[in-house]
Amino acid sequence: MDHVDPDRLAGLALDPADASEDVREHAATCPECAGLVASFTGVRRRAGADALVAPPEHVRAQVLAQVRAGDVAMVSSPSVETRASRRGVPVWLAAVAAALALVAGLGLGRWGADTETPEAVAPPVDTGTVVAAATLTALDSDADRGRASAVRSEDTFTIRVSATELGDAPGVHEVWLINVDGVRMISIGLLASGTEGEFDVPMELVDQGYRIVDISVEPDDGDPTHSGVSLARGELA
Amino acid sequence: MTIIPFPARSPRRYGDRVVTEALTFADEQDDGVRALAARLVAGDEGALESIYDRWSALVHTYALRALHDQHDAEDVTQQVFVAAWRSRHTLTPSPSALPAWLLGIARHKVSDVRAARARDADRLAAVVSLPGAHDGVDPSVDEDVAERLVVRQAVDEMPDPRRTILFLAFWEERSHAEIAETVGLPLGTVKSHVRRGLMKLHQQLEGVRHGSR
Repeated sequence: MDHVDPDRLAGLALDPADASEDVREHAATCPECAGLVASFTGVRRRAGADALVAPPEHVRAQVLAQVRAGDVAMVSSPSVETRASRRGVPVWLAAVAAALALVAGLGLGRWGADTETPEAVAPPVDTGTVVAAATLTALDSDADRGRASAVRSEDTFTIRVSATELGDAPGVHEVWLINVDGVRMISIGLLASGTEGEFDVPMELVDQGYRIVDISVEPDDGDPTHSGVSLARGELA
Repeated sequence: MTIIPFPARSPRRYGDRVVTEALTFADEQDDGVRALAARLVAGDEGALESIYDRWSALVHTYALRALHDQHDAEDVTQQVFVAAWRSRHTLTPSPSALPAWLLGIARHKVSDVRAARARDADRLAAVVSLPGAHDGVDPSVDEDVAERLVVRQAVDEMPDPRRTILFLAFWEERSHAEIAETVGLPLGTVKSHVRRGLMKLHQQLEGVRHGSR
């Protein structure tokens, strides 16, 4: 027998007495339609919440201030990038330090407006210092997929990747850096063990905005480009 | 494990492709939300402002109900939108993905606050007297709160007369005949609005359920 139109099932969920006999009979014997009726009833039961409470106005201002402060770190616009490359000191590094300071503030649970100034903190540029880190997550959810960090020493960067739960799809795991400009990407190597790896990259690369760490699974098909299947991603910040 | 296509084999821009991907969700209707999500992914600060204006009440109310503390709820709200901005590259735009994604982040922030409370004995003692903040937290209660708020927001956003009709029907529990009289529409029209409204709510709730897992 054909299924009942969802519209009529919604009517049944709203008021069983108002539904016609054939709709009631069908829903009584068809698991699929009965399921939909149950779903509709569930939705109806969830109606009745009190009005939403907007946060106070200052929260909006703080969000925007923080985003703008952190934006220097993101080097999201070309103009900022040009400015950065003309200076002797990579501006994103200082900004990354500021972003890290913000993250630290976040860990403490509260921050004052004064912690939002990017130049407030000097960048920790000692040899072998972790200057940026990223939490890797699956692309379709927040599911944790490990960590990546950028360690600076002299004039190279080492990207350390420690991934988890990448699944068991056949193929090797390749690590890529995607530029924040959304256009360019480059492969930096393979996770030989499947989950752990260290990759030296020229500092200019990171400086140019290649800061999104991406892990793909690559079939053995002789094609050197990205397979199109990303298992994890995170932006170094 | 879920895998997401990545556009390396095509010459298209990464940002563009993320948008293209989302267009395959043909059954979703809300192009406005999708466009907003796409602008966010592309790094448009104005999009973040629009997203904040539209969903900060949802996030804030959720945090408020989950944490029972005004200050913590404000902090969580702030953290959620800053985190949303910072991790915007991980968002795949689709109409229901945005609220689902924001609620997903909010859930993490709420559990961070709870963990911090649990670690801080003094703080814990202070909140024990508050309802719901002590002992084990049942995640399904949080889930239910979130879903009720999503429904509330969806109804708030419906165009009139559907919005008014649904409020009268679901919040004030008025009969269809009473509603027809109040809003001055035929009974059949009122019934149709209630049914369609319920179906739309169902659709949005399903979207959020899928999007936040």
